Amino acid sequence: MKELKSEVSGFVVSLEAKAGDEIAAGQVVLLVESMKMEVPVEAQMAGTLEEILVGEGDSVAEGDVVAHVREA
Amino acid sequence: MTSKDDEGGSGEPRPDLAEVLDAKAATLDDNRPEALAKRARTGHWTARANIAALLDEKTFQEYGQLARPAFDLRVGPADGLVMGLGSVAGQSVAVAAYDYTVHAGTQATINHAKSDRMMHIVERLRLPFVFWTEGGGWRPHENNISARDFEETFAMMAKLSGQVPTLGIVAGRCFAGNANVAGLCDTLIATRKAALGMAGPPLVESALGLKLTPEELGPPEVHEASGAVDIVVEDEAEAIEVARLYLSYFSDERTPGEAPDPMALRDIVPENPRRAYDVRKVIEGVADVGSVLELRPRFGRAAVTALIKIAGRPVGVLANQPMFLAGAMDSPACDKLARFIQLCDAHDIPMLFLCDTPGLMVGPEVEATALVRHSSRILTAAVNATVPFMTVVLRKAYGLGYYMMGSLPLNPALLVAWPTAEFGAMGLEGAVKITHKQELDAIDDQKTRLARERELADEIRARNTALQVAARYEYDDVIDPADTRDVVLKFLNALPPTPPRTGRKRTIDNW
Repeated sequence: MKELKSEVSGFVVSLEAKAGDEIAAGQVVLLVESMKMEVPVEAQMAGTLEEILVGEGDSVAEGDVVAHVREA
Repeated sequence: MTSKDDEGGSGEPRPDLAEVLDAKAATLDDNRPEALAKRARTGHWTARANIAALLDEKTFQEYGQLARPAFDLRVGPADGLVMGLGSVAGQSVAVAAYDYTVHAGTQATINHAKSDRMMHIVERLRLPFVFWTEGGGWRPHENNISARDFEETFAMMAKLSGQVPTLGIVAGRCFAGNANVAGLCDTLIATRKAALGMAGPPLVESALGLKLTPEELGPPEVHEASGAVDIVVEDEAEAIEVARLYLSYFSDERTPGEAPDPMALRDIVPENPRRAYDVRKVIEGVADVGSVLELRPRFGRAAVTALIKIAGRPVGVLANQPMFLAGAMDSPACDKLARFIQLCDAHDIPMLFLCDTPGLMVGPEVEATALVRHSSRILTAAVNATVPFMTVVLRKAYGLGYYMMGSLPLNPALLVAWPTAEFGAMGLEGAVKITHKQELDAIDDQKTRLARERELADEIRARNTALQVAARYEYDDVIDPADTRDVVLKFLNALPPTPPRTGRKRTIDNW
């Protein structure tokens, strides 16, 4: 199981995938708004999105784990 | 055995030679099992193992292998500093490595004399210099020798700035004078086992009453974030790999590498202007595959600085990073960019600016960091650089941030934009607040006022698209992102040969 982390502080504007989805490497899983920009959190590897730990509107800090991916 | 018996050559060394060979052999790792075991226990490589791994086989000419500590009673092969000349992938280099198994890699009377001589040779022969700096600073047992007052090690290291490429590697505990040497290097690599600081635990305890281990004082994670270390690697083996790559940017070797898929560049900048993207993807998209070496990745993260190769030719890339602060330039990002310009200029590496910035960072916090001064460093470095550079505007190009990121007044050899380029002399929302103050102030409803503000900003935006700006001839060209590598290559091909250098062009700021 790999952890997906947000590289920036901000709040979650949208979830772009849902738990159980098969995702590709580089696919955007969710967007964090920071400095008026939507910063993507991308999967580093292909796999199954096991769970998303945050919801829209939640605030996240830099380095927070936001999702778990099971490697393909 | 008499000398007469040797006539005709039995192959056995005569006693005079045998004595020398034995003395030399005694300094080698194989004949120092205790020292070797000590290193193995802590999971470190020896000084000699590091040098052997970096240099091409059988190219090492050691200097001062037979030197010993100034006090007869103290043992210490080579007085704890292994150094000499050799080659890396055919390129001549000088190397030096403090030996932690000799009095904790300390600097002492004789090894100072050695390093001083090495650096004079480095200066005269203009060789890239790699220095493993692990060690505990001055060797206090030699306090009654006043050599410290005469040694030139630190002064010479500072004098090498801008004359030859210098690379430091910290793979263990490195404090005081040893850390000073590290801090004087152009570029610094540290392994996960590094502990780096100007004052080690004994000094910290006596001055501040704090009991800390070296690893608590200066771990690599701290230096990665502080910007003191350029590249953190896992271990010695990776440090050697990175050192070889680093040296290759300063080599005459120009074998073209594999080109990346150019079409990937078309989709990196999202259609949605508010969507961030990782500018490293653009860098990967123009560089030879496997040729990107990013410096200070965890420091000043609103900018990315990387050495790359394009068709085998070294290029220094300076980019804004929209993932952090939307690419707005704060003091650390400015420092990082300014220093990198100096590094490239000093060593004649052409530069590529990739601009996507909303401008300098705003707000009281960043002003309190002396942004007024830090941001100015970029211009002083760039305007006074003589190495040619070119600029690609990827998306945002606003205010003084754009001015500093290789805009026209800085005289780039080529200035192009991607179709996604936006331009503004200052942030557009801020601009309309000033130019339309009366109109906006008259709108009581906040939502309506914000909507009008956005509308006005969008009007200006529409007048400053890539095509509009190119029509006013503020770009030399607007290009298909997929052609970016080819465009950079044309720029490189247009450059005259680098004039041979006999002296220094400029020093490189240590920060």
